[in-house]
Amino acid sequence: MSVHTMLEAVNLSKRYEDGALAVDDVSFSVRPGEIFAMLGGNGAGKTTTINIFLNFLEPTAGEARINGIAAHRAPLEAKRHVAFVSENVMLYPTFTAVQNLDYFARLGGKTQYTADDYRRVLLRVGLQEEAHHKKLKGFSKGMRQKCGIAIAILKDAPAILLDEPTSGLDPKSGFEFMQLLGSLRDEGKAVLMSTHDIFRAKETADTIGIMRQGRLVMQRSRAGLAGEDLERLYMEHMAGVHE
Amino acid sequence: MLATIIVHELKNILFSPKFSVTVAVASVLLLLSVVAGIGQYRAAAAQYETTTQLVQQEMREARGWMALTNKVLRRPDPMQIFVSGVANDVGRLSGVNAFQAVKLSHSTFSDDPVYAVFRFIDLSFIVAVVFSLLAVLFTYDAVNGEKERGTLQLTFANAVPRAQYILGKFAGAWLGLVLPLLVPMLLSLLLLAVTAVPMTAEEWGRTVLLFGGAVLYVTVFVALGILLSTLTPRSSASFLYALVLWVCAVFIVPRAGTTLAGHLVPVPTVAETEARRDAFAKDRWAQYEAQMQSRWKERNAPLEGMTKEEREAYRDEKMWEWMEQDDQDRKQVQTDIDEQARRLTEELRNRRMEQERLAFTLSRLSPASSFQLAAMNLAGTDIALKTRYEDALNGYRTLFNEYKEKKAKESGNSGGFRIEVNSDTGVKIDAGRERGVLDLTGMPQFTHPSPSAAETMRSAFIDLGLLGLFSLAAFAGAFVRFLRYDVR
Repeated sequence: MSVHTMLEAVNLSKRYEDGALAVDDVSFSVRPGEIFAMLGGNGAGKTTTINIFLNFLEPTAGEARINGIAAHRAPLEAKRHVAFVSENVMLYPTFTAVQNLDYFARLGGKTQYTADDYRRVLLRVGLQEEAHHKKLKGFSKGMRQKCGIAIAILKDAPAILLDEPTSGLDPKSGFEFMQLLGSLRDEGKAVLMSTHDIFRAKETADTIGIMRQGRLVMQRSRAGLAGEDLERLYMEHMAGVHE
Repeated sequence: MLATIIVHELKNILFSPKFSVTVAVASVLLLLSVVAGIGQYRAAAAQYETTTQLVQQEMREARGWMALTNKVLRRPDPMQIFVSGVANDVGRLSGVNAFQAVKLSHSTFSDDPVYAVFRFIDLSFIVAVVFSLLAVLFTYDAVNGEKERGTLQLTFANAVPRAQYILGKFAGAWLGLVLPLLVPMLLSLLLLAVTAVPMTAEEWGRTVLLFGGAVLYVTVFVALGILLSTLTPRSSASFLYALVLWVCAVFIVPRAGTTLAGHLVPVPTVAETEARRDAFAKDRWAQYEAQMQSRWKERNAPLEGMTKEEREAYRDEKMWEWMEQDDQDRKQVQTDIDEQARRLTEELRNRRMEQERLAFTLSRLSPASSFQLAAMNLAGTDIALKTRYEDALNGYRTLFNEYKEKKAKESGNSGGFRIEVNSDTGVKIDAGRERGVLDLTGMPQFTHPSPSAAETMRSAFIDLGLLGLFSLAAFAGAFVRFLRYDVR
């Protein structure tokens, strides 16, 4: 393992109890200051891969390592180095944005934050100040996703996992979200993201992987994709043309 | 970490929109029940004082010592304010004299049947029904609700130990539900103090234990709610299961236990027992009559061949001996009948006790039964209240009758009456009335029974212990289940 690797899947496999092979011998790595976007259809194994990194699932074979720590062997230690943004951030509807941030920051071991810190991070993710002390039950999906990324930022972990974070967002919100992700990458975060959004993945990611039926069927850097039509490649892989 | 989770869970419950309304209603209901209980206690205490004075007056004006009848009124207990138990079902008044067995009659429900229709609402009822429902309603989605919201995933994306999380959930929910219970409880104690309800130190102690029992009872339902939320992936399912569980625990199991015990250990009815007693008495008297007939034949046998004068002389000689013999036999018959009646009563009581024991054992599968039994034991309004009083009344009856006989002998008045028919003055009935009022000095006073502190604690601690076990088992179940819970 390179010392620069923050997230690493090593021959990762996951077979469910019903026999379905969700992840099949997947290997990749994400270094600090890099965004790795996993593309693939529904059931391709993207979310399962992220779930193994978070130890929500145990791998059948191989390892998912965070900062060199196998997630299923030392989950608590591994999770100290990673933040997570889910597809549909719901949070606590009867709590305000700041209260939600405060709770998850404390769970992430950050107890030193002040009200000003919460204000600044919420402004950074683009949440208007008048919404900071409003209960989340009136928030749109976009606003909740912004809170979700704010929580991830507050954790100040070197790695961030995102499971289809722009799904269901309007184009403007999606654009802003990816801008933010780019700035986190620039700060040195290692970002692993699953997404269906080929356009944004191509625009933001440093490395793109395509998953099909649990396997990582393509993995290319941005440079490697120069001049390629990613959408066509994606469709070909989905159709199994390259197998 | 644990503190963060506890505080968060507490806030989550306290900030819930349904919380303030439901808890406010339940708290007001609890306080109102105490206010109503104090009112009923005061009315009962006033009635007790008035009736006791009237009985004293009646006794002083009785026509003689042998006609003296005491009436004992069951003294209202301040603990009834919180737990009415069987206090309204058991009679409040019993006559005490030589001619009738003691029997408590005139219960609140027999005098005012309207109350029996819906029963009184007291603190134990509100805790047993309302607060247990609140407990499951606020915890049934403690874990699976978080999963549905996606917050469980987000939580466990952090280095949060599962054991701490479930413990924090439980502690937070417990605090969120126990604090609103403690506030009206403490206010009710204040009400007792302000309205100067006469409570002994022991009764204050029992009240505190009763409140502790209520907290323990709510704890069981908090743990059960959390257990259900870890057993089912969806909160809609756990909501349904929670309701079914609550209905079974609070209403079905206690009644089913009693019904089942009734089938397994049948107890003869009072009418059956009385019929058996009467049948025995009838048989015994028939035996006695047959015995008397053959005896009179034997007695008359030597009279054969005697002259009228000889027969009269023989009878005069034997008459006292025969009378004494007959009287002895009659007394023996009465003793046998009394003994049979005592055995039947004892048998009935033993069967009842056996049935009660089984009913309580079966119904204790429900925490609601355990709580109600503990509460009634602590309040002294338990199932043994009637027996306790009747035993005490029987003991008192002996003392009272001895006192009456002693006073009658001293006054030389047997208490009988004389009818005098005179062609000049007509009929005159002399009831042998004592001159003036009777001096009741030295009359034994009835001591109202109350179970000893040790006895109460022993009975209550069984049920409180069971509540502790229920809580522990439910939480242990939730804990073990959550360690393997799929948080996705």
